[in-house]
Amino acid sequence: MPKEAKGIQLGQLPGLSQLKIIRVFNEKWLDNQVNHPRPQRPGLGLTGYLNHIQEGRIQIFGRTEAGYLRSLKDAERGRCLKNYFALKLPGIIVSESITPEPDWIAAAGRYATPILVSELHTAPLISRLSAFLYQYFARKIKMNGVLMDIMGQGVLLTGASGIGKSETALELVNKGYQLIADDVTEFYLDSNDDLVGRANEIIKNLMEVRGLGIINIHDIFGSAAVLDEKTLDLVINLEKWDPKKKYDRLGEDNLYFKILGLEVPLINLPVGPGRNLSTIIEVAVRNFVAKKSGRKTYLELRSAPAPSLPAANETAATEPGSEVS
Amino acid sequence: MIEKKQQITNKLGLHARAAAKLSHLANMFSADIYLIYNDDKVNAKSLLGILTLAASVGNEITLQAAGSDEQEAIRAIGELFDRKFDEES
Repeated sequence: MPKEAKGIQLGQLPGLSQLKIIRVFNEKWLDNQVNHPRPQRPGLGLTGYLNHIQEGRIQIFGRTEAGYLRSLKDAERGRCLKNYFALKLPGIIVSESITPEPDWIAAAGRYATPILVSELHTAPLISRLSAFLYQYFARKIKMNGVLMDIMGQGVLLTGASGIGKSETALELVNKGYQLIADDVTEFYLDSNDDLVGRANEIIKNLMEVRGLGIINIHDIFGSAAVLDEKTLDLVINLEKWDPKKKYDRLGEDNLYFKILGLEVPLINLPVGPGRNLSTIIEVAVRNFVAKKSGRKTYLELRSAPAPSLPAANETAATEPGSEVS
Repeated sequence: MIEKKQQITNKLGLHARAAAKLSHLANMFSADIYLIYNDDKVNAKSLLGILTLAASVGNEITLQAAGSDEQEAIRAIGELFDRKFDEES
């Protein structure tokens, strides 16, 4: 079940500590609610065109906003600030260590709006803030499966309980690939609409292998064997070999698995005796990469079978020097 | 599909050992069994999944089962909760 995040207090914002905030004015209103994943630059909003200034969005003041306000005559500026702050915005972040003028702070204070000052330039400030907000507000879902990085591809191994997902993943880790999450992977949609998977903090780096119990992959294999998060590229579903079911024999099936409205390529892999799953998965990923770059082995085979060898006399006729006769 | 609300009464809540007993029991049934807590739904057959719930004493979770032996599964798992995972005598 996907979850929509509710609003969050400005002061509780994840990643606030990484925005290089150096001063805070009107501090007592840091509990204002932010409920929009994108920060906003007011721009024309300061001139009185307020139609698109949305409540719940953090506002960013850069050199433009500061310069414009400073260029106004006192009365004019007072009117602009009053109209703007009357929208009850959750908070203003001023970039580039620009010091807010006393009348901005006073106008913001009358409408319970805190002003934070950041050392960062406007563009990196907005991109960092957006990344944190997106992750917080992103739609999230828990999936049953093991997420691994195999040759740079994010691969989710799914399948019924006890089919051998963790054992296969352990073999893959042993081959040098990275574990992101065992058994339960949490996915969220990032700002690029990519599905990013990560482990729940409680079970990060852990794997359950029947007979061994819970093991810590980081402790056993080192930090190169684990990753914090990874964008999902491919789902490989392990299932019991069913002789009646038709499996892809040519490699031309294009199946998809839907997560949070996105379609992710899916491969159904039957598990049977004598099948070395980790090797098959490794090859499946290599083949997936080749297919992505346009290589389709089954199409090359589909052209008519090559003609059998020409008769001996024809061969002679085309041989170089045969016209000498 | 059937559901049952279940109170967590053992002191330690769904910690590792209780989660191990729970997932071991759930694996004996062919039905799909889920635990739902705080909008989170996890497979009861997955030990790590149960751990991610971080449910503790006094919390109420929902057991959900679907399959041919769903009745037996819910009853057996409910009893395990009621017995406080055999941890306290």
